[in-house]
Amino acid sequence: MKLFLVFIGKILLVLLLSAFALDFIYTTVFAQSETRNKLENVINSKPQQYDVIILGTSRANNHFVSELFEKEGLKTFNYGMSGSHLFETSLLLKLMLERGWEIKNVIVETDLNLSNEKRDDGTFGRFMPFLHQSKTITNHFANEADFTELYYVPFYRYIQFDEKIGFRAWYKTLVNEPTNALANKGYYPLGFNPKANMKNNIANLVPLRNRYFEEIKHICQANHINLIAVTTPMCSNVKGMDYFKKVKALYPEIKEYEHVVEDDQYFSSCGHLNDKGARLFTATIIKDLDFKNE
Amino acid sequence: MFFNSLSFALFLPIVFLLYWLVFHKNKTTQNAVLIIASYYFYSCWDWRFLFLLVFSTLLDYFSAIMMETSTTDKKRKFWLWLTIGINLGFLGIFKYYDFFAQSFADLLHGFGFQANPFLLKLILPVGISFYTFHGLSYVIDIYYKRITAERNFIDYSLFVSYFPLLVAGPIERATHLLPQVKIKRHFNFEKAKEGVYQIIWGLVKKVVIADSCATYANAVFDNYESMNSLSLLLGAVYFAFQIYGDFSGYSDIALGTSKLFGIDLLKNFNYPYFSRDIAEFWRRWHISLSSWFRDYLYIPLGGSQGGMWMKVRNTFIIFLVSGFWHGANWTFIIWGLLNAIYFLPLLLQNKNRSNMGDIKMGWDFNSIKTISTILGTFALTTVAWIFFRAKSISEAIGYIQKMVTDLHFDSQYLSNERYSFELLFLVLVFVFVEWFNRSKVEPLSGKASWVKVTLAIMALLALGVYSDYKEFIYFQF
Repeated sequence: MKLFLVFIGKILLVLLLSAFALDFIYTTVFAQSETRNKLENVINSKPQQYDVIILGTSRANNHFVSELFEKEGLKTFNYGMSGSHLFETSLLLKLMLERGWEIKNVIVETDLNLSNEKRDDGTFGRFMPFLHQSKTITNHFANEADFTELYYVPFYRYIQFDEKIGFRAWYKTLVNEPTNALANKGYYPLGFNPKANMKNNIANLVPLRNRYFEEIKHICQANHINLIAVTTPMCSNVKGMDYFKKVKALYPEIKEYEHVVEDDQYFSSCGHLNDKGARLFTATIIKDLDFKNE
Repeated sequence: MFFNSLSFALFLPIVFLLYWLVFHKNKTTQNAVLIIASYYFYSCWDWRFLFLLVFSTLLDYFSAIMMETSTTDKKRKFWLWLTIGINLGFLGIFKYYDFFAQSFADLLHGFGFQANPFLLKLILPVGISFYTFHGLSYVIDIYYKRITAERNFIDYSLFVSYFPLLVAGPIERATHLLPQVKIKRHFNFEKAKEGVYQIIWGLVKKVVIADSCATYANAVFDNYESMNSLSLLLGAVYFAFQIYGDFSGYSDIALGTSKLFGIDLLKNFNYPYFSRDIAEFWRRWHISLSSWFRDYLYIPLGGSQGGMWMKVRNTFIIFLVSGFWHGANWTFIIWGLLNAIYFLPLLLQNKNRSNMGDIKMGWDFNSIKTISTILGTFALTTVAWIFFRAKSISEAIGYIQKMVTDLHFDSQYLSNERYSFELLFLVLVFVFVEWFNRSKVEPLSGKASWVKVTLAIMALLALGVYSDYKEFIYFQF
């Protein structure tokens, strides 16, 4: 039995050393990458200046055409991330400022994502390689239920989020395989999809006085950033559109754009404009809004 | 509680320490610990079904004694059929009732009648097909006087509910397992070490191979209409490795776990994808089920004693029942039928036992022939797996039709955000590792075992699929 316990001890030691080694290898590779996704592009960035930064979910990523802002002389980048929640959006803004970015205007898509204060695992996972490298990230995640194991158990975070930061992502980062995440200054155009489901039901969603939107407001105020919070278009066949009225009641400062484009021909799916629709929407927004310029 | 879960990683060492360090005095205390652990293990799924397990145990235990003490054949037969009837009755109600009711209603609908069948929509108790067959083998053996009835209820209960095999086999035989639980086990370091190696390798098969293949196979099967020939071909191959890695991985963990308690379970897999014909495949795949059907169905039906017609009839019965055992769906029946059809030419030519020995390889023509027969058998098996995996027969036919008619072979980007060909390298590495270790139970023991164990652990950590958690496929049967 003693021999066996020693044998098991050795297996556990191998497990622990392997976890440490893999953690080191993965973190080293991810820490040096800045081109595969928007998040690492921010984390590994040097100080920069922007007139407009766009934040939000895919409904920001696919709706704000950076090129049209640039045509107006506004240096712009779209940092909208598909699937993300305001929890991660707020952190991204904090990281930009931590890295010395000077931002004049932040456009935040604040509509359906106001109903959620939880993390989005897909986006959250992408932050994990940098958990030990940034106090801002550590503090932002400190209240998560699984923070202790993610922070202290070697390689656990890579196992937990293997879909986003597993072996495949690690290998592609190592060989520096490019992605299209940073193309078009962050804007991702969608095509027209004739088979798309042009219906949606958001009747069950309830907007919250969202603590992360509050946090974003606070950060912008403290850093003299002009915050522009907007809702973005939905197709015409949506059940529960009174959600947006509740948003307005909760946050009168949020500008309503959910109806500016409604025709199905401008949509790729019910919640996402296609490129034609996004250009129409962006043009309207640019004409409509006041941007801070000095 | 799954074998690849954190809760099992805590449960197993606790039971191990209690078994060897606290309750090791005699076999009764050892068996009592294992029974309590087994009932706890089973109740982690759904404690309500524990009553079913206990009832099944009591039924088989008392029926066997009654059968043995009966003075006439009539009474013995009565107890045998009563036990078979009740056991299969439970299986029928939980697993097959809805299928038959719905199929009958569909048939009536085909004749123009409207029928709204009363469906039970019951949850299938985990492992019911396994422990039912387990118990049946015991009472049938008693009936044929192959063994004597077990009088010690604790020993018998452990035979039925022993947690490593409780939910997905191997389907044990009383002649093999009962003698082991009837004696005190002494700790054997070499056996326990073998067990640990087998558990680690089983986990690699499940978490690295099966679960990785599952994400690709699901992405292909769920969207087969938009897939091209290459993706569909790869999807079928990935599923073949998913089900193999999943079930043989489970069996390895079960066998390895049992070795930690000093008990050997029946071998369930013997590198089935290296079979040279379909008969050999069935001698290497889910061995405990195949041999169960052979001993308790094929032979009682007359086996190969009554001429060619009898052999063919019995073979088809075995494969169809085997398919139906897997689940109440026509897809499983067609899967069984296909295997019977594959088997038929071998049976007619009396070649079903021609590949019994080890696979010998060299630099000669025979080796090329062997490899091509292995690949041919794998291809046949893979086609049959499409029916096993598909939700309906029409989906399976549509899948195969698209695979052979599309004829586009460019790599496609799948819904799991991966290219269809990306996993092929991992699958090939796995095949090579298995091929060069096919004479062993697992590849980790032997020379440089620490290097191999380290690589296996690193593969588990780095290549395993954890975020998209998948249950063992055979738990649903």
